[in-house]
Amino acid sequence: MAPSRWLRFATLLAALSLVAAACGGDDGGGEQGGGDDGGNETATIIHGTTDPWQSFAPAGSVDLPSWNVIYNVMETLLTIPPGGDTPEPLLAESCDFDDAQTYTCTLRTGVTFHDGSTFDAEDVKFSFDRNIGIADPEGASSLLASLDEVEVVDDATVTFHLNKPDATWPFMLTVATTAIVPSETYSATEIQDDQEVVGTGRYQVAEFRPGEQVVLEAFDGYWGDPPANGRVIVQLFDTSSALKLALEQGEVDIAYRNMTPTEIDDLRSAEGVAVVEGGGTEIRYLVFNLDQEPFNELAVRQAIAMTVDRQAVADNVYNGTVEPLYSMNPVGLAGHIDAFADEYGAAPDLAGAEAVLGDAGISTPVELEVWWTPSHYGDLSADEYAEIQRSLEESGLFTVNLKSTEWDAYTEAAFTGQYPSYQLGWFPDYPDADNYLASFYASDTFLANGYANDTVDELIATEKGSTDPAERIAAFEEIQRIAAQDVPIVPIWQGKQVAAVREGITDVEQTLDASFIFRYWVISKA
Amino acid sequence: MPKQTTSLRTYALTRLALAVPMFLLLLTLVFLLMRVAPGDPISAALGGRLSQEELQIRREAAGYDRPLIVQYFEYLGDVATGDFGTTISDNRPVTGMIVQNGAATLELTMVAMLIAVLVGIGIGLVAGRYRDTPVDVVGRLFGIVIYAAPIFFLGFLAQLVFGKWLGWLPTSGRASPVVTFELNTPTNLFIVDALIAGDWAALSDILKHLVMPATTLGLVTGGIFIRLVRVNVLQTLQGDYIEAARARGLSERSVVFRHAFKNALVPVITVMGLQFALLLSGAVLTEQTFNWPGLGSELIRYLDNRDYIAVQGIITFFALVVVGMSLLIDFVNAWVDPRVRY
Repeated sequence: MAPSRWLRFATLLAALSLVAAACGGDDGGGEQGGGDDGGNETATIIHGTTDPWQSFAPAGSVDLPSWNVIYNVMETLLTIPPGGDTPEPLLAESCDFDDAQTYTCTLRTGVTFHDGSTFDAEDVKFSFDRNIGIADPEGASSLLASLDEVEVVDDATVTFHLNKPDATWPFMLTVATTAIVPSETYSATEIQDDQEVVGTGRYQVAEFRPGEQVVLEAFDGYWGDPPANGRVIVQLFDTSSALKLALEQGEVDIAYRNMTPTEIDDLRSAEGVAVVEGGGTEIRYLVFNLDQEPFNELAVRQAIAMTVDRQAVADNVYNGTVEPLYSMNPVGLAGHIDAFADEYGAAPDLAGAEAVLGDAGISTPVELEVWWTPSHYGDLSADEYAEIQRSLEESGLFTVNLKSTEWDAYTEAAFTGQYPSYQLGWFPDYPDADNYLASFYASDTFLANGYANDTVDELIATEKGSTDPAERIAAFEEIQRIAAQDVPIVPIWQGKQVAAVREGITDVEQTLDASFIFRYWVISKA
Repeated sequence: MPKQTTSLRTYALTRLALAVPMFLLLLTLVFLLMRVAPGDPISAALGGRLSQEELQIRREAAGYDRPLIVQYFEYLGDVATGDFGTTISDNRPVTGMIVQNGAATLELTMVAMLIAVLVGIGIGLVAGRYRDTPVDVVGRLFGIVIYAAPIFFLGFLAQLVFGKWLGWLPTSGRASPVVTFELNTPTNLFIVDALIAGDWAALSDILKHLVMPATTLGLVTGGIFIRLVRVNVLQTLQGDYIEAARARGLSERSVVFRHAFKNALVPVITVMGLQFALLLSGAVLTEQTFNWPGLGSELIRYLDNRDYIAVQGIITFFALVVVGMSLLIDFVNAWVDPRVRY
């Protein structure tokens, strides 16, 4: 054949080969919906998510997706059990306060790291010391501000010496940043490479393709009960629409974080898919700058609290995937009370709002400037604030001027007191009311919104320093009542945790709770 | 001839020298744009959780408070040594990220280009050969429509029809999650790696995932080539040597395919080369639509995170690719056509 004919023949042959290969063959290792189905303990669970990871280093991350992997590959001294809200032993067999600033833990023995080294008290001290020493800008070492020193009493006993009374310390020991790492393998001064993660958890990292997937395989040498599956593949998606399609096609078993309410609604009627829900403690709220007009007027703040229609936001914007929130201490945490509902009623009270403004001699409509950001809290922020604007303006009491800017400029302006009022959200570091109330209402809060109340500061000091649950709860409740009266912030909604799962996947709802620990080990695949 | 050879060398060296300031300008623009935009990676990650004082401490620790000129020269020095640094938002070596995700983009781009060439040349050639016939009209119409259609729209349509309604093809990713994990990837080109491993099941899975994104991207790109090939075929068919070939009694088929076609392709190859470089430097919309883990997708993600280091690294790579491809095409043109000289 002439050369040109050879070329044509070769091209045709190549094209036909590709077509044949694409059409033929089973999916083999590439079967959609997971790998081995031979037995439950060997099943592969595929979790699709749009949340990218920052780092699998306890000392180098603060984001939820990274902490999800850490919780499954590493372990902390204490943990929040599924559905619970109180720390329970994990790598520690027991822990207790010796006094207000001394906390001693007796450690579990017979625990092995993935690299074969043995867990002991030196590893605990090492893990805390390196976290504080590295003080990675992307990490959460600031959460350990109460810690003065970790003392190794013996191989199985450590004592935490705190620099001030801190009743939240047990909760701190459940947070991913305090996960224990092996002193024999990890550097004391450098963040560990994500490809070389070592822990004591039920899973070890089998492979990590940055930006694409992380694969966790069951650790044969785990000290406790094995996981309900053999392997977890966490697959990253750029968009929730792609994730939804992949779930519908069976390429993933679980879609968890973050799908839109519309997509979730659609999935409720999708074949072979079920939507499961659980409690969440993510909240959104509106902050007032008390140093700027008109929010320096208590009557204005109270009138807004009476007027804003939380239920409309929950129904019209979020399709019921969030609940109206009446306190900055969310439902599910100890000490929660619906303080704003108790003070002003659950539903908007327009007559009451008008009376409050009238009694204060404030003429209406009151002009409000409200800021929100399109780039940090999801695409629905625009709709959310349009709904808030609508409910406030329909009352006839307010005129709302909505403004927005990108997150970076937004935080810089908001936290330097430039905005009169602004949108914010909160994700817990640990499931305790202190992580909310102290963060928002202390006079030195990061919000820098000009709110200062000595009584609240005293109550915060009381709850931080008390190990008596009843005393703490009483303090939490009082803080909420005062805050509802002072209204430096209006809580708007509390999010549920929602996941969509394929047929045959069970027990996901077990792990959807206030702790935000997504426990792969409880999930089964039929 | 010695004079022509010297001239070609001079042209090549001059062209190479001119590429350097172009490259530097690109790097400087990227650096400045990223620094001038408000915000920084620390605020993007931790704003809203820490006080301004804490954020400032962390900015200083990460070096974002240093003078711009210091950061700039440090950046140029790193580029010169091939050290693009480590991403800020997820601690990845930028070079490794470019290799891994660049391979994904390369794979998509090569197959898309193949489809674009086959469709573009095929339809363009036939349309030019049968000018002003229904075949020509359909070909031109197809080229215009396919080129004008937004690529993400075509992508979504393909996902809806072939993925959701018919269930024939997967709608996202380079391969199913299990294949992605189990396949040994020495080259990061999944097709090649599957062939090396002799894993036909994996190859089938990979090709199924590749069909929709590559076809979508290839068709849109092919729309450009259809019109270009057609115009060049028409022009070539009007040449004197074509008339001479017909006068010598050659069949019309032979005249078109053996004589006109090759000459019509010369200018088209230049455009194809540039188009390939453009595709390689980030088929962003296609990658986003199909969740394809290429450099385009990564660029969007790192831009959102204000990750200067990652964005700089990716843009630098894109600049290298485009500049390199432009150089190559210019060299080939100068070699083929002696009239191309400074």
